[in-house]
Amino acid sequence: MTCQEFWDSMPELAPDGAPELGEHLRGCPACVAVLARQRQVAAGLRGLAAESRRVQAPARLEGRLMAAFRGEGGMTEIPLRARWWSPVAAWVAAAALITAAALLSLRSREAQPLPATAPQMAAVDWTFGLAIEDAGGGTEEGEFIALPNAEQLPPPAQVNMVRVELPRSAMISLGYDVKAEEAGEMVEADIVLGSDGLARAVRFLN
Amino acid sequence: MAEHDRESDDELLLRLHSGDEQAFAALYRRRQAAIYRYALNMSGSAAVAEDVLQEVFMVLIREGCGYDPERGALSAYLFGIARKLLLRHFERIRGNVPIDDEDAGSVMLELAVDGNQLSDLARSEGIAALRRAVQALPRRYREVVVLCDLEELDYADAAHALGCPVGTVRSRLHRARALLLEKMQGEAGPRRAGALNPIRCSI
Repeated sequence: MTCQEFWDSMPELAPDGAPELGEHLRGCPACVAVLARQRQVAAGLRGLAAESRRVQAPARLEGRLMAAFRGEGGMTEIPLRARWWSPVAAWVAAAALITAAALLSLRSREAQPLPATAPQMAAVDWTFGLAIEDAGGGTEEGEFIALPNAEQLPPPAQVNMVRVELPRSAMISLGYDVKAEEAGEMVEADIVLGSDGLARAVRFLN
Repeated sequence: MAEHDRESDDELLLRLHSGDEQAFAALYRRRQAAIYRYALNMSGSAAVAEDVLQEVFMVLIREGCGYDPERGALSAYLFGIARKLLLRHFERIRGNVPIDDEDAGSVMLELAVDGNQLSDLARSEGIAALRRAVQALPRRYREVVVLCDLEELDYADAAHALGCPVGTVRSRLHRARALLLEKMQGEAGPRRAGALNPIRCSI
């Protein structure tokens, strides 16, 4: 058996001590070494799996699903979390509107260039590699929430923050519960825009 | 031990469809974490993972959800639904990049791990590096690692979830392990060898 044939047999997926592996390994120290490293990776994956076991879905989801189950006959009326596959496009459109609104100075303040690597920044979401300076405006400001499409965008070299007004219904796609009678109300929000003009994150005020 | 702890998934599903709320709760609690983690590992987004998990169980609530116990385990069926939802998500946000685009994650792969981290795999730093390497795998390889190595599905269930033969699961896992080893050893250069096109030149 050549080394190529040995690896074509996918020995790293075979159980330890599988007899068919022994013959080649006895005469090939190089494959022994590679297989040992493969088993280190496999052990690392088991460690990663064990560590990941702590990750659970948010508890709120069970409540929503139980409510859906009880009201199965009228599913469309159940206040489930809004789907991300349709609001993504809505957020892109909203970001464009927000940018336009900011440019028109409709209740906006001057854009504040914030270096993405500045110290004393609060992380928004590690998956985006994006960091936002905490404006320190007091307890009424919540945490930044990454927008649904942000993870697909490249990390911006520089970010700007603009304060805008949005209909409260925009909060639904981020998982907030919004009463139907309040959906049309306006709420203030800070939007983080990349240097490409695309929105990355939002936080709602009060 | 509660009664539903002794029941199989299929028994719980049967009771669920007859309106038994406790059966639904038991099935959800049994399966939610794995589906959530799978969606989280594949999407990198907690929001997407939450929505995928929600929709998976909404499908299950509906009558005639399409589950056939003859074709595979319920858990594999649930992973399969989650995968379809994730594919829909990826297609919408990336302009229909298919899941089997082998090079989709190669750039991320190059950025995932610096230096030789293989000897650190017994420590948390090594595990963190391995996690980054997994998340940077091209999607077709990442999903088999997540299903088979992290969620410990057997190859048959993984094949059912992915809608492919068992042999394909094994070969993808084989390739994925090789990519992970390459990355954890820090042997990969700034570009993969396969990405280089030799040209003829004269001096």
